[in-house]
This record gives sequence, structure tokens and C-alpha cells, in this order.
Amino acid sequence: MRYNACENLFGRQSVALELNKLTGQVDAMGRAMAGRRDKLAEKMTQARETLAAQPDVSEELKRKIKAARQVDEWRRGAIPLGERLDERRRPGLCPTPHTLIAADGSQIYPDRHSIAAYYLLNTGAIVLRAGTGGAPTVSSVPEIFFQDADLYDEEGWIRTPDYVSAQRNRREIQALADLAEAERTALGGDLAVPIVCMLDGPLLPWMKPDPQHADTLNQEIEFFASQMARLRRAAAIPVGYVDRPDSAYVLRILELINLPIEKITRETLRQGAFIQLTDRVLFDGLAPNERTGLFEPNSDANDRYRLRSDGDRIAFVYANVTRPGRGKGSAIARIEVPGWIASDPDKLDIAQAAIYANCEPTSYPYVLARAHELAVVGQAEKGDLEQMLFQTLLRNGLMPEVSFKAANKLLTGGGRR
Amino acid sequence: MDQPTIVGRVLRSSTTSFTIGCRQLISEQDQRIPEFGALVRAAGGGDNLVYGLIYNVTIEDDAFVRQLVAAGVESPEIIEDQRQKRQVPVVVDVLVAGSGRGLEIYHRLPAQPPSTLDQIYLCTAAEMVRFTERHDWLRTVLGSVEAPADQLLIAALRNAAHARPPDQRDAYLISAGRELAKLLALELTRLDGILRGMR
Repeated sequence: MRYNACENLFGRQSVALELNKLTGQVDAMGRAMAGRRDKLAEKMTQARETLAAQPDVSEELKRKIKAARQVDEWRRGAIPLGERLDERRRPGLCPTPHTLIAADGSQIYPDRHSIAAYYLLNTGAIVLRAGTGGAPTVSSVPEIFFQDADLYDEEGWIRTPDYVSAQRNRREIQALADLAEAERTALGGDLAVPIVCMLDGPLLPWMKPDPQHADTLNQEIEFFASQMARLRRAAAIPVGYVDRPDSAYVLRILELINLPIEKITRETLRQGAFIQLTDRVLFDGLAPNERTGLFEPNSDANDRYRLRSDGDRIAFVYANVTRPGRGKGSAIARIEVPGWIASDPDKLDIAQAAIYANCEPTSYPYVLARAHELAVVGQAEKGDLEQMLFQTLLRNGLMPEVSFKAANKLLTGGGRR
Repeated sequence: MDQPTIVGRVLRSSTTSFTIGCRQLISEQDQRIPEFGALVRAAGGGDNLVYGLIYNVTIEDDAFVRQLVAAGVESPEIIEDQRQKRQVPVVVDVLVAGSGRGLEIYHRLPAQPPSTLDQIYLCTAAEMVRFTERHDWLRTVLGSVEAPADQLLIAALRNAAHARPPDQRDAYLISAGRELAKLLALELTRLDGILRGMR
């Protein structure tokens, strides 16, 4: 690769992205993607044929799943909860009235280049009471953290992005529990009104494994389990909604079908016949408002949750939330629920029907879109906050300064006049 | 009414006009506000008041609302969420028509415009009568380039007449019409249009 000084046609320097140097690479990318699409389409045909030929959750398949878990943990697989891998179910209309609650969180991570050490969390939530005709209740709760106890860990290191993200996750699930309890109380305890509580993304918290803080994930799951217990007591239906999921849980099961049990090894599991495929393409033939059978992710987080929730486990289905006649034939989402909802088909029907109704305008739950909007902190708002910080530091006799790196970014990022 | 009706708060202002942001089109007293041609007042520094006429009401949109319209949204809860809760405020433009202090009214531009976030109130019937007792404000409206002056005059004069007892309304409109005839002596077509609208 030759490194030339950056020049453009007008002889001025420092053009950041010289698109003319990418044309050949972009062309190659388009051809490679077309080739990959053809290969993947062929593999997907084989996967569908496997599913059609052997849809039963046979005893042999169960033995193979057990073997896979013993040989390699098999964390990307799932346990089928039904008797067939190709189950389908379509719920009726959701009872009216019903209540949808969604919460989302946003953050500003600590930045050592900024004028001050802090981090911010903003939790947005919406309570939409379908069938009442009234405007929803909305809220947006910002919190700024600047005290030493919040900002630094026991060893004096500034809090990591993972820590801040975990705090944000806590606030999201806690907001759902708070609002569900308040709503149930406002309804006078009337259990005939379903309350569906939604998070954007998987239900279970996820964190990068950290050998130095091995107990951190357990603490997060402990907190999660406590909030799930509150939701259960409020007779709410908690849901994790994953839009355009990349998961391949069911494909991992299909790979075992034609793999002799004696050939189940770490290598054959990790280089399965259907890698690079996704379940959402496998199930893109679901009819509108139809869902698959139930599966349990065989994840480490789910195991930890089971230990802290009196044996409960998170399960999921895939569902098509698009409307007939809309341009796109399918919009497959993964809908996660706790085991105490998964084991109650009527409650799962209610959750799916409520979500489907709420996806009507945009093929994505309206309440999640609004919760995100109520939570998100944009660059302009961050700028306004930093202005406030700047003023308060001056008023308290401090001279705020960004780092030289940040100052130079401001100089070079300003654009030409 | 016991409590003054709050229309909204000032977003930006100048000597000749100001813009208000309102949360919704219906007040807590179930009144339709803001209305074209309504007389409003704001504080203009110290004891000074600024009077103005609402000449434009804008309801802004964004990509989300457009998408909902394109999808044919029918859920009343979503519609009310968009109307009442999303931060797409109703934007109201007001033409400054005069100033005042206490019960005194001056049909001239104020010394200072309203400040940012000043509350704007809908004038009561008594305030409307006091403001329109003399016709000097008509000249300010006729001379405006930013407002739809003729339509604004029609709406404001009809409101001013309605603020009076029924047996005084016709007399007021006739008096205003005579003043307009003097001001628009060389623009008879325009005068005719306004007078027709006042009926």
C-alpha cells in the first residue's frame, strides 16, 4: 500500500476520506456480497429442507443437545420447549383496554478529555393505555454522577463504559417495575387489564467477562431477578424485544440433526453446516402476527438467572410483526419472556397481540420508539450540558479546560468557511 | 373567568413581533387557544405590558409524524401522544399592536419586547374593550408586512365587537369601519374586502 500525502484536486490538504481511492474496493465489496448471498441462499435452502424433513424434537435430538452441552457448553444453541421445531401460533386480538409500558436508557460515558469527570444516565419511559383514547404518560429522568464514590472503583480507576452501561440497564428494568406497580395500583389491582412491559433488546443483562471482577455479572443478574420478581407480583408481562435479530439458536439445533452423535465435537459444533445464517431468515415465511414455538437460550446468563430466580429461565419466540400488504413480506423480531410467561400460552398470546397492534404504524413497537426518543442524549444536548458545567465550574472558581486532544478535534472538526 | 388563560411562553421576540410556544391547542379551561386574531398580553419589563394580535399559528412536523401519517395511523392514543406529548410545540406568531401600564393603553410600540419564557396571557373581554376603545391600533396592523393584515383586522375587529355587550356591537363595528374608510381612502378595493369580512 502506498501512503501518499493527502491531496485533493484543489491542492488543499487534509481531506479525511478520499472516496476516489475506495471505488475499486467498494466494487469488489458489491461483487463479494452478491457471491456470499448466493452461497448463503444455498445453505438456507438446505437448512429449511432439514427442518421440513425432521421437525420433531425427538429423543435422539434431545440426546444430541445434551451431548453438545457437555462437549462444548454450546452457548449459542437453544433448548426447544415444544414438541416440534416448526410450531406456529397466531394469537387473537389483545384484550382492550390493555397497557403497554416501555423504558429505555441513554448515557454519556466518562471522558478524560472533557472539562470535568462525570457520567450521565437518562432514562425515558412511556405508559400507553390502549383502548382509553387518552394521551400516554411520559417521563425522562436524567442523573449526573460526579461524586468520587460513583465515579471511581475501589482501586481508584474511573468507571468503565461497561459499568455505566450496567447502571443504565438497571434503571431501565427498575423503571418498568416501578411503573408496572403504579399502574396496577391505579387500576385498583384489576388483573383483567394486561400490562405488558417492554425493553429494547434481550431481557437478560449482558457483560463482557471480566476475570478481575468475576462477580459483577452475578450482581447485575441478581438485580435483574429482583426487578423481575416485582414485575411478576404486579402481574405484568415483561418482554425483551429484539428487532432484526442476528441470532442463530434454532440453526444450531438444526446442525445437530444430521450430525451423528459420535461426531459431536468442539470443532464440528463451532464449524457447523449453517454458520453465517440467521434464524430470522429461516423463519421469514412466518405469516403476519404468527410466531414460532418456544426456545430457551442455552446461555451463561440464563444459567446464572436460573440460580437467582428460583429456577426461572428466559425463553423466546420469533414473530412476524409486519402487516399484510406492506412492502416488506416479513419483519421478524425475537420476543423474550420469562419462563412464568412462556409456560402460559394465553399470557404469551396477550403479549404478542399487544406488540403486534403497537407495531402497526412502523413495524417496530411505537412505545419502544418513544422510550428511546425520551431517553436519547444527542450531541447538541451534550453540548448544552457541557456549557452548564462550564458555567458552574467558573462560578466555583475553577478554570475548565478540555485536553489538547479534544481541543484539536474542535479545531479540525469545525469545517471550512 | 377567574384565572387568566395562559397561551404559552415567549420563544423569541423583537420590538414589532414575538413568537410563543404552546404545548397544545386547548387550554386547561377548555378554551381553543391560540386563535387567529386573538389579543394577548405579555410583560415587557418593569410594569410595562405588551399587547399583540395572534397572526399565525404553526404546527410543525418531523420525520416521525410523517411516517405515522403515511402508515395511516388510527390509534387514538398514538394520535394524542403526538399532539400532546411530543416536543413538537405549537408555534404562534404575534404582531405587537400596542403597550400599556396598568389600565393605561398606548397604541405605540413598546420600549422593550417581552423576554424569553415570559408567560403570555389571553386578554379578557374587559382588556379587549379597553384596548380597542380608540382605533389607533388599526394603523399598526394595516402597516404590517409580516402579518396577513386584512384578515387579521377582520378577525380582531370581530373579536373586539364580540367582547362588548350585544347592544354595542354594531355601533362599534360602524365606528371602526368609518376609521378604516379614512385610512384606506385610496385603496377602496381593499377597504371593501375588509368591510365585507366584518359583517
